Amino acid sequence: MSNSAISIKSLNKHYGSFHALKGIDLEVREGETLVICGPSGSGKSTLVRCMNGLESYTDGNLEVLGITIGDDTQQLDRVRKRVGMVFQGFNLFPHLTILENCVLPQLRALGRDRATSTIEAVDQLKRMQVYVHSEKFPDQLSGGQQQRVALARALCLQPEIMLFDEPTSALDPEMISEVLDVMQDLAREKMTIVCVTHEMGFARAVADRVILMAEGRIIEEGDPEQMFTAPEHEITKEFMKVVNQ
Amino acid sequence: MAASLTAPAAATGPVVWLRKHFFSTWYDAVFSILFSMLIAWMVNKLLGWAVFDAIWRVENRELCTHDAGACWAVIEDRGRLILFGLYPYEEQWRSTLACLAVIVTMVLSCLPKFWSIRRLPILWIAGFGIFVLLMRGGFAGMPLVRSEQWGGLSLTIFIFAAVFVIGMPLAVIFALARRSTLPVIAKVSGLFIDLVRSLPLLTLLFAAAVVVPLLVPEAIQGTKLGRVVVAFALFFAVYQAEIIRAGLQSTSQGQEEAAVALGMPYWSLVVDILLPQAFRNTLPSTINQAVITFKETSVVTIIGFFEVMASGNAAIGTGEWGNQYIEVYVFLAFIYFIFVFGLSRYGAWLEKRMRLGHV
Repeated sequence: MSNSAISIKSLNKHYGSFHALKGIDLEVREGETLVICGPSGSGKSTLVRCMNGLESYTDGNLEVLGITIGDDTQQLDRVRKRVGMVFQGFNLFPHLTILENCVLPQLRALGRDRATSTIEAVDQLKRMQVYVHSEKFPDQLSGGQQQRVALARALCLQPEIMLFDEPTSALDPEMISEVLDVMQDLAREKMTIVCVTHEMGFARAVADRVILMAEGRIIEEGDPEQMFTAPEHEITKEFMKVVNQ
Repeated sequence: MAASLTAPAAATGPVVWLRKHFFSTWYDAVFSILFSMLIAWMVNKLLGWAVFDAIWRVENRELCTHDAGACWAVIEDRGRLILFGLYPYEEQWRSTLACLAVIVTMVLSCLPKFWSIRRLPILWIAGFGIFVLLMRGGFAGMPLVRSEQWGGLSLTIFIFAAVFVIGMPLAVIFALARRSTLPVIAKVSGLFIDLVRSLPLLTLLFAAAVVVPLLVPEAIQGTKLGRVVVAFALFFAVYQAEIIRAGLQSTSQGQEEAAVALGMPYWSLVVDILLPQAFRNTLPSTINQAVITFKETSVVTIIGFFEVMASGNAAIGTGEWGNQYIEVYVFLAFIYFIFVFGLSRYGAWLEKRMRLGHV
C-alpha cells in the first residue's frame, strides 16, 4: 500500500446556513487518479478547492502531502507550491504572453531565475503542444489551447498533485479530447490526480477510482468499471444514465 | 455568361463624395450652402483678427487700438512674465532647464520601457532632483531662489507632475486598503477617501498652506509649496483610488485564484497580476483624472502661487496691457491645449497598444 497523498477525515463545510460538505472521509494515494463526479451542487468543486485552501472548511481534518490545511498561511503556501490546479475557466493572465504566463509563477513562487524558468516553460509548452503560440496572448488561442497552456503553467512548478476542477466543461465539444489526451498522459506517468469531471470516457480510460457525490456526501465509490456497469445506489444509476446519453 | 457580369465602376472622387454627403436633397443643399457661408465668414474673421490685422512687434504697440486685430505684442513684451512668473529675470534660464527636466521625466515615464519598479523611482528622483536643485540654486554661483518666488509654466508643470507621482502610489495603497480583508483597514481607508472627497480642493490647499503651520512644529512643516503639493496629491489620490478600485473589481475572481493556487505571494498577485489589469481596464478614466488635475493646478493661485494662469493675469493687470486680456488668455489656452491634447493622444496610443495585447 503506497502512501496517502491526501487524507480527509469527517470534513464539514458550511456557507452560512447551507451545509455544503457533510462529513467527507477520503484518502487519495500517491500516484492514484481519482475522478469525482456527481450532479451540480453536490459539493465536488468545493471539495477539490478545499484541497489547496482556496476554500476554507468549517471542521474536520484535511492533510495534503502530510501538511495540515488550515489557517496557517505559511503551511498553505508550502502546499500550494507542490499542488497544481487547473480551472474550468482556464484563468490565464490575459496581459501576459503564453510564455510569460508559464515563466512568471516560477519566478515568484519558487524564486527560480529567468533562464531556468524559460527553459522549463518551453519544455512544458512543447509537451502540451502549444509551444508555437509562445509569443501570443491568451485571447488569441482557442479554449482547448488555453487549457493546455494552463496545464503547462501548473506543471512548470513540478507539482506532486494535480487538481482539476471541471477542466473541459467550458470547451467546445471538438476541443475536449485534446485536453483529455494530455491529462491521460499525465495519469499514465503516475501523477497523483484529483479530477472533477463528467467525462466518463476519461474516467474509464485512466481513473483508478471514481467517487460519486450528491448533496455534500460521497454516495458511492468504486473502480470505474463497477461504477458504470453495476452501480449500487439509486442516485448513481440515475446519474450514469444521464451522462451516458 | 458569368464572364460578362462585371461590377459597375464604383463612382468615387470628391464631387461624388460631396454630392452624396451634402447635396443629396434640396434641403441638404440649402443647409450646406448656408453653413459653409457662415463658416467661411467666421474663419475669415478669425484669420483677420489673429493673423492679417494682428500687431506682432512691441515697437508697433501704438497701433494696438480697438479696431485693429490681435495685439500679439503683449506676448512679446510679457511672455517671460507669463512663462516664469516672479522668478528673477537673470536666472530664468534655470527655470527653463528645470521645466525641461520635468517634461523629459514625464515623457520618459510614459514610455513602457521605463515601467519597472527599479527604473521609475530612479527616473523620478533624478528628474525632480534636477528641478529642485536648478530652481532653488544656492550653489555653484547660482543665487538662492525660494519656492515662494517660483512661478509660471515651470511651476504649473512641477505641481502637476509632483501631484501625479506622489498621488498615484498613494492611490494604489488606498485602493488596496479599501479592499482589504481586514475590516479595520478597509473601514479606515474608506472613511478617509470619503472624507477627503467631500472637501473642496480649495479648502484642503488652504488648510495645508495656512492652518498646518499653526498646528505643526516648525521643524517638520516643510515649505508652503511642499505642503500644498502633498495636500493636492492626497486629493488626487482619493479620486484615483476609486478609479483603481473599480479596475480591481473588474478583474475576474479567477485571476486571483489562479495566482494563489500557483503559490504566488500577495505582493506579486497585486503587482504582476491585478494592478496591470486594473490600470488597463481604467485607462480612459485615469487619463481623464490626469487632465482634470492639470487644469486644476490653477487653483494654487488663490494661496499665493504664481503658476502660469496667475502670471497671465499679472501680465494684463498693470493697466499698460490691460486691453489685451483676450490675447493673453488665448496664449494661455494654447499652452494648456498643448499639454492636455498631448496627454489625450498619449492615452489613445496606450489604448491602441493594449488592444494588441501588451500591458
